[in-house]
Amino acid sequence: MTEVSSDRSAPTSAGSAAAADDDWVAQLTTPGPARDDALRRLHALLLRGARFQVSRMSALRAAVGAAQVEDVVNLAADEAMIAVLGKLATFEGRSRFTTWAYKFAVLQAAVELRRQAWSHREVPLDAAPQLVEPRPSPDEYAEGSELAAAVRVAIDTVLTPHQRRIALALLVEEVPIDVLAERLGTNRNALYKTLHDARGRLRSHLAAQGYPTASTSSGREAR
Amino acid sequence: MTAPDHVSPTEVVRRLTMDPGPWLSCDDCFRLVDRYVEVVLAAARPGEELAAMPAHLSGCSACAEEAATLLLLAAADAGIDPAPALERLVRG
Repeated sequence: MTEVSSDRSAPTSAGSAAAADDDWVAQLTTPGPARDDALRRLHALLLRGARFQVSRMSALRAAVGAAQVEDVVNLAADEAMIAVLGKLATFEGRSRFTTWAYKFAVLQAAVELRRQAWSHREVPLDAAPQLVEPRPSPDEYAEGSELAAAVRVAIDTVLTPHQRRIALALLVEEVPIDVLAERLGTNRNALYKTLHDARGRLRSHLAAQGYPTASTSSGREAR
Repeated sequence: MTAPDHVSPTEVVRRLTMDPGPWLSCDDCFRLVDRYVEVVLAAARPGEELAAMPAHLSGCSACAEEAATLLLLAAADAGIDPAPALERLVRG
Protein backbone atom coordinates (compact mmCIF):
# COMPACT_ATOMS: atom_id res chain seq x y z
CA MET A 1 0.00 0.00 0.00
CA THR A 2 1.24 3.45 -0.85
CA GLU A 3 1.96 5.55 2.18
CA VAL A 4 0.08 8.81 2.48
CA SER A 5 2.06 11.84 3.58
CA SER A 6 0.85 13.52 6.73
CA ASP A 7 -0.61 17.02 6.75
CA ARG A 8 1.54 18.47 9.52
CA SER A 9 -0.61 21.57 9.84
CA ALA A 10 -3.64 19.48 10.82
CA PRO A 11 -5.07 20.20 14.25
CA THR A 12 -5.17 17.37 16.74
CA SER A 13 -7.71 18.46 19.36
CA ALA A 14 -11.47 18.66 18.83
CA GLY A 15 -11.54 22.37 19.69
CA SER A 16 -8.77 23.36 17.33
CA ALA A 17 -10.23 21.10 14.63
CA ALA A 18 -13.58 22.90 14.89
CA ALA A 19 -11.84 26.25 14.73
CA ALA A 20 -9.87 25.16 11.69
CA ASP A 21 -13.09 24.02 10.02
CA ASP A 22 -14.68 27.40 10.74
CA ASP A 23 -11.59 29.04 9.27
CA TRP A 24 -11.88 27.00 6.07
CA VAL A 25 -15.52 27.90 5.56
CA ALA A 26 -15.04 31.57 6.47
CA GLN A 27 -12.02 31.96 4.23
CA LEU A 28 -13.65 30.18 1.30
CA THR A 29 -16.75 32.36 1.50
CA THR A 30 -15.21 35.80 2.13
CA PRO A 31 -13.81 37.56 -0.95
CA GLY A 32 -10.24 38.75 -0.66
CA PRO A 33 -6.66 37.53 -0.50
CA ALA A 34 -7.49 35.04 2.27
CA ARG A 35 -10.03 33.37 -0.04
CA ASP A 36 -7.51 33.13 -2.85
CA ASP A 37 -5.07 31.48 -0.48
CA ALA A 38 -7.75 29.12 0.86
CA LEU A 39 -8.70 28.14 -2.70
CA ARG A 40 -5.07 27.28 -3.45
CA ARG A 41 -4.78 25.22 -0.26
CA LEU A 42 -8.08 23.46 -0.99
CA HIS A 43 -6.97 22.54 -4.49
CA ALA A 44 -3.68 21.20 -3.15
CA LEU A 45 -5.59 19.13 -0.60
CA LEU A 46 -7.88 17.73 -3.30
CA LEU A 47 -4.92 16.92 -5.54
CA ARG A 48 -3.38 15.01 -2.66
CA GLY A 49 -6.59 13.06 -2.08
CA ALA A 50 -7.02 12.24 -5.77
CA ARG A 51 -3.39 11.23 -6.18
CA PHE A 52 -3.52 8.97 -3.14
CA GLN A 53 -6.69 7.24 -4.36
CA VAL A 54 -5.13 6.58 -7.75
CA SER A 55 -1.93 5.33 -6.13
CA ARG A 56 -3.94 2.60 -4.40
CA MET A 57 -5.48 1.29 -7.64
CA SER A 58 -2.35 -0.30 -9.05
CA ALA A 59 -3.94 -2.71 -11.54
CA LEU A 60 -6.13 -0.06 -13.13
CA ARG A 61 -3.29 2.48 -13.06
CA ALA A 62 -1.08 0.10 -15.03
CA ALA A 63 -3.84 -0.37 -17.59
CA VAL A 64 -4.16 3.36 -18.15
CA GLY A 65 -0.54 4.55 -18.33
CA ALA A 66 1.39 7.24 -16.48
CA ALA A 67 0.47 10.28 -18.56
CA GLN A 68 -3.21 9.49 -18.49
CA VAL A 69 -3.05 8.80 -14.76
CA GLU A 70 -1.77 12.32 -14.16
CA ASP A 71 -4.67 13.64 -16.25
CA VAL A 72 -7.07 11.62 -14.10
CA VAL A 73 -5.60 13.11 -10.92
CA ASN A 74 -5.83 16.69 -12.17
CA LEU A 75 -9.30 16.25 -13.61
CA ALA A 76 -10.51 14.65 -10.38
CA ALA A 77 -9.11 17.49 -8.26
CA ASP A 78 -10.72 20.10 -10.52
CA GLU A 79 -14.09 18.34 -10.47
CA ALA A 80 -13.87 17.89 -6.72
CA MET A 81 -13.07 21.59 -6.28
CA ILE A 82 -16.29 22.48 -8.10
CA ALA A 83 -18.24 19.98 -6.01
CA VAL A 84 -16.81 21.16 -2.69
CA LEU A 85 -17.42 24.84 -3.42
CA GLY A 86 -20.91 24.07 -4.70
CA LYS A 87 -21.80 22.11 -1.58
CA LEU A 88 -19.99 24.29 0.95
CA ALA A 89 -23.29 25.47 2.44
CA THR A 90 -24.18 21.86 3.24
CA PHE A 91 -21.04 21.25 5.34
CA GLU A 92 -22.41 20.72 8.84
CA GLY A 93 -19.15 20.33 10.73
CA ARG A 94 -20.03 16.75 11.72
CA SER A 95 -16.62 15.66 10.44
CA ARG A 96 -13.46 17.63 9.91
CA PHE A 97 -13.59 19.88 6.88
CA THR A 98 -10.57 18.20 5.37
CA THR A 99 -12.12 14.72 5.67
CA TRP A 100 -15.36 16.02 4.15
CA ALA A 101 -13.48 17.66 1.27
CA TYR A 102 -11.21 14.68 0.61
CA LYS A 103 -14.16 12.40 -0.10
CA PHE A 104 -15.08 14.36 -3.22
CA ALA A 105 -11.57 14.01 -4.63
CA VAL A 106 -11.38 10.32 -3.72
CA LEU A 107 -14.71 9.58 -5.43
CA GLN A 108 -13.88 11.55 -8.57
CA ALA A 109 -10.45 9.94 -8.91
CA ALA A 110 -11.70 6.40 -8.37
CA VAL A 111 -14.62 6.73 -10.77
CA GLU A 112 -12.53 8.37 -13.47
CA LEU A 113 -9.69 5.84 -13.27
CA ARG A 114 -12.13 2.91 -13.41
CA ARG A 115 -13.84 4.51 -16.40
CA GLN A 116 -10.60 5.12 -18.29
CA ALA A 117 -9.17 1.69 -17.51
CA TRP A 118 -12.28 0.02 -18.93
CA SER A 119 -12.82 2.43 -21.82
CA HIS A 120 -11.60 -0.08 -24.43
CA ARG A 121 -12.74 -3.24 -22.70
CA GLU A 122 -15.85 -5.20 -23.41
CA VAL A 123 -18.23 -5.51 -20.48
CA PRO A 124 -19.25 -9.18 -20.21
CA LEU A 125 -22.93 -9.60 -19.41
CA ASP A 126 -23.43 -13.31 -19.89
CA ALA A 127 -21.12 -14.88 -17.34
CA ALA A 128 -21.69 -18.52 -16.47
CA PRO A 129 -19.67 -19.05 -13.30
CA GLN A 130 -17.96 -22.31 -12.51
CA LEU A 131 -19.04 -22.90 -8.92
CA VAL A 132 -17.16 -26.10 -8.12
CA GLU A 133 -13.48 -26.05 -7.23
CA PRO A 134 -11.39 -27.74 -10.00
CA ARG A 135 -9.47 -29.87 -7.49
CA PRO A 136 -11.41 -29.89 -4.22
CA SER A 137 -10.27 -31.76 -1.16
CA PRO A 138 -12.67 -34.50 0.02
CA ASP A 139 -14.04 -32.17 2.72
CA GLU A 140 -14.38 -29.25 0.34
CA TYR A 141 -16.11 -31.50 -2.12
CA ALA A 142 -18.54 -32.87 0.43
CA GLU A 143 -19.40 -29.49 1.94
CA GLY A 144 -19.04 -27.22 -1.02
CA SER A 145 -20.27 -29.04 -4.06
CA GLU A 146 -23.80 -29.45 -2.80
CA LEU A 147 -24.06 -25.77 -1.87
CA ALA A 148 -22.45 -24.73 -5.14
CA ALA A 149 -24.93 -26.81 -7.08
CA ALA A 150 -27.79 -25.26 -5.12
CA VAL A 151 -26.46 -21.77 -5.81
CA ARG A 152 -26.09 -22.59 -9.50
CA VAL A 153 -29.71 -23.71 -9.65
CA ALA A 154 -30.87 -20.70 -7.61
CA ILE A 155 -29.11 -18.27 -9.95
CA ASP A 156 -31.09 -19.68 -12.87
CA THR A 157 -34.42 -20.15 -11.14
CA VAL A 158 -34.74 -17.53 -8.39
CA LEU A 159 -33.13 -14.45 -9.90
CA THR A 160 -34.73 -12.34 -12.60
CA PRO A 161 -32.72 -12.12 -15.84
CA HIS A 162 -31.73 -8.56 -14.87
CA GLN A 163 -30.61 -9.58 -11.36
CA ARG A 164 -28.64 -12.49 -12.77
CA ARG A 165 -26.90 -10.33 -15.36
CA ILE A 166 -25.97 -7.60 -12.86
CA ALA A 167 -24.88 -9.94 -10.06
CA LEU A 168 -22.65 -12.01 -12.33
CA ALA A 169 -21.10 -9.01 -14.07
CA LEU A 170 -20.25 -7.37 -10.73
CA LEU A 171 -19.27 -10.40 -8.66
CA VAL A 172 -17.92 -12.90 -11.17
CA GLU A 173 -16.52 -10.75 -13.97
CA GLU A 174 -15.59 -7.95 -11.53
CA VAL A 175 -16.80 -5.16 -13.77
CA PRO A 176 -16.53 -1.94 -11.73
CA ILE A 177 -19.99 -0.79 -10.67
CA ASP A 178 -19.48 2.71 -12.14
CA VAL A 179 -18.43 1.23 -15.48
CA LEU A 180 -21.37 -1.14 -15.59
CA ALA A 181 -23.74 1.69 -14.70
CA GLU A 182 -22.38 3.86 -17.49
CA ARG A 183 -22.62 1.09 -20.09
CA LEU A 184 -26.18 0.25 -19.10
CA GLY A 185 -27.30 3.88 -18.84
CA THR A 186 -28.11 3.62 -15.16
CA ASN A 187 -26.40 4.59 -11.90
CA ARG A 188 -24.45 3.06 -9.04
CA ASN A 189 -27.45 3.18 -6.65
CA ALA A 190 -29.71 1.25 -9.00
CA LEU A 191 -27.12 -1.46 -9.66
CA TYR A 192 -26.30 -1.89 -5.98
CA LYS A 193 -30.04 -2.17 -5.22
CA THR A 194 -30.33 -4.92 -7.83
CA LEU A 195 -27.37 -6.74 -6.29
CA HIS A 196 -28.73 -6.27 -2.76
CA ASP A 197 -32.08 -7.75 -3.77
CA ALA A 198 -30.44 -10.61 -5.67
CA ARG A 199 -28.41 -11.62 -2.63
CA GLY A 200 -31.52 -11.49 -0.50
CA ARG A 201 -33.40 -13.75 -2.92
CA LEU A 202 -30.56 -16.26 -3.13
CA ARG A 203 -30.20 -16.39 0.64
CA SER A 204 -33.94 -16.82 1.23
CA HIS A 205 -34.07 -19.63 -1.29
CA LEU A 206 -31.02 -21.39 0.14
CA ALA A 207 -32.33 -21.02 3.70
CA ALA A 208 -35.64 -22.54 2.62
CA GLN A 209 -33.69 -25.46 1.15
CA GLY A 210 -31.97 -25.98 4.50
CA TYR A 211 -28.57 -24.49 3.69
CA PRO A 212 -26.97 -22.40 6.45
CA THR A 213 -26.64 -18.71 5.54
CA ALA A 214 -24.29 -16.74 7.76
CA SER A 215 -25.70 -13.42 8.95
CA THR A 216 -22.34 -11.68 9.16
CA SER A 217 -20.13 -10.94 6.22
CA SER A 218 -16.78 -9.51 5.35
CA GLY A 219 -14.80 -8.82 2.23
CA ARG A 220 -15.53 -6.54 -0.67
CA GLU A 221 -17.83 -7.27 -3.47
CA ALA A 222 -19.39 -5.02 -6.09
CA ARG A 223 -16.44 -3.39 -7.74
CA MET B 1 -17.44 -16.81 -20.47
CA THR B 2 -15.88 -17.86 -17.16
CA ALA B 3 -14.83 -15.99 -14.06
CA PRO B 4 -11.37 -14.38 -13.91
CA ASP B 5 -8.75 -16.91 -12.83
CA HIS B 6 -8.13 -15.23 -9.48
CA VAL B 7 -11.75 -15.62 -8.39
CA SER B 8 -12.23 -19.13 -7.05
CA PRO B 9 -15.58 -20.88 -7.28
CA THR B 10 -15.77 -20.87 -3.49
CA GLU B 11 -15.25 -17.12 -3.48
CA VAL B 12 -17.95 -16.66 -6.12
CA VAL B 13 -20.41 -18.57 -3.95
CA ARG B 14 -19.45 -16.46 -0.93
CA ARG B 15 -19.91 -13.22 -2.86
CA LEU B 16 -23.29 -14.26 -4.19
CA THR B 17 -24.70 -15.47 -0.90
CA MET B 18 -23.31 -12.97 1.60
CA ASP B 19 -25.68 -11.18 3.94
CA PRO B 20 -26.61 -7.89 2.21
CA GLY B 21 -27.65 -6.32 5.51
CA PRO B 22 -29.99 -3.35 5.78
CA TRP B 23 -30.45 -1.30 2.63
CA LEU B 24 -28.22 1.74 2.19
CA SER B 25 -27.67 3.38 -1.18
CA CYS B 26 -24.26 4.31 -2.52
CA ASP B 27 -25.33 7.97 -2.44
CA ASP B 28 -26.19 7.73 1.25
CA CYS B 29 -22.93 5.91 1.89
CA PHE B 30 -21.09 8.82 0.27
CA ARG B 31 -23.08 11.33 2.35
CA LEU B 32 -22.14 9.55 5.58
CA VAL B 33 -18.67 8.21 4.85
CA ASP B 34 -16.64 11.13 6.25
CA ARG B 35 -18.41 10.88 9.59
CA TYR B 36 -18.21 7.09 9.62
CA VAL B 37 -14.47 7.11 8.91
CA GLU B 38 -13.84 9.50 11.80
CA VAL B 39 -16.00 7.41 14.15
CA VAL B 40 -14.06 4.29 13.17
CA LEU B 41 -10.73 6.09 13.61
CA ALA B 42 -11.81 7.21 17.08
CA ALA B 43 -12.85 3.61 17.91
CA ALA B 44 -16.25 5.03 18.87
CA ARG B 45 -19.57 3.24 18.48
CA PRO B 46 -21.40 4.23 15.28
CA GLY B 47 -24.77 5.82 16.00
CA GLU B 48 -28.03 4.67 14.48
CA GLU B 49 -27.59 6.79 11.36
CA LEU B 50 -24.29 5.02 10.61
CA ALA B 51 -25.50 1.53 11.52
CA ALA B 52 -25.89 0.32 7.92
CA MET B 53 -22.41 1.44 6.86
CA PRO B 54 -20.47 -1.77 7.68
CA ALA B 55 -22.85 -3.97 5.69
CA HIS B 56 -22.82 -1.59 2.75
CA LEU B 57 -19.03 -1.48 2.72
CA SER B 58 -18.93 -5.29 2.93
CA GLY B 59 -21.20 -5.60 -0.07
CA CYS B 60 -19.98 -2.74 -2.28
CA SER B 61 -16.27 -2.89 -2.96
CA ALA B 62 -16.22 0.42 -4.84
CA CYS B 63 -17.54 2.26 -1.79
CA ALA B 64 -15.24 0.22 0.45
CA GLU B 65 -12.19 1.08 -1.65
CA GLU B 66 -12.99 4.78 -1.45
CA ALA B 67 -13.80 4.65 2.27
CA ALA B 68 -10.47 2.97 3.00
CA THR B 69 -8.61 5.71 1.14
CA LEU B 70 -10.51 8.37 3.05
CA LEU B 71 -9.67 6.66 6.33
CA LEU B 72 -5.97 6.58 5.46
CA LEU B 73 -5.98 10.27 4.52
CA ALA B 74 -7.84 11.27 7.69
CA ALA B 75 -5.57 9.11 9.83
CA ALA B 76 -2.45 10.69 8.32
CA ASP B 77 -3.80 14.18 8.95
CA ALA B 78 -4.64 13.32 12.56
CA GLY B 79 -1.39 11.41 13.17
CA ILE B 80 -3.26 8.18 13.97
CA ASP B 81 -2.15 4.63 13.12
CA PRO B 82 -4.78 3.53 10.57
CA ALA B 83 -4.25 -0.22 10.85
CA PRO B 84 -6.75 -1.04 13.63
CA ALA B 85 -9.36 1.26 12.13
CA LEU B 86 -8.99 -0.31 8.69
CA GLU B 87 -9.93 -3.66 10.20
CA ARG B 88 -13.01 -2.11 11.82
CA LEU B 89 -14.10 -0.24 8.69
CA VAL B 90 -16.02 -3.11 7.10
CA ARG B 91 -16.63 -5.18 10.21
CA GLY B 92 -18.13 -2.19 12.05
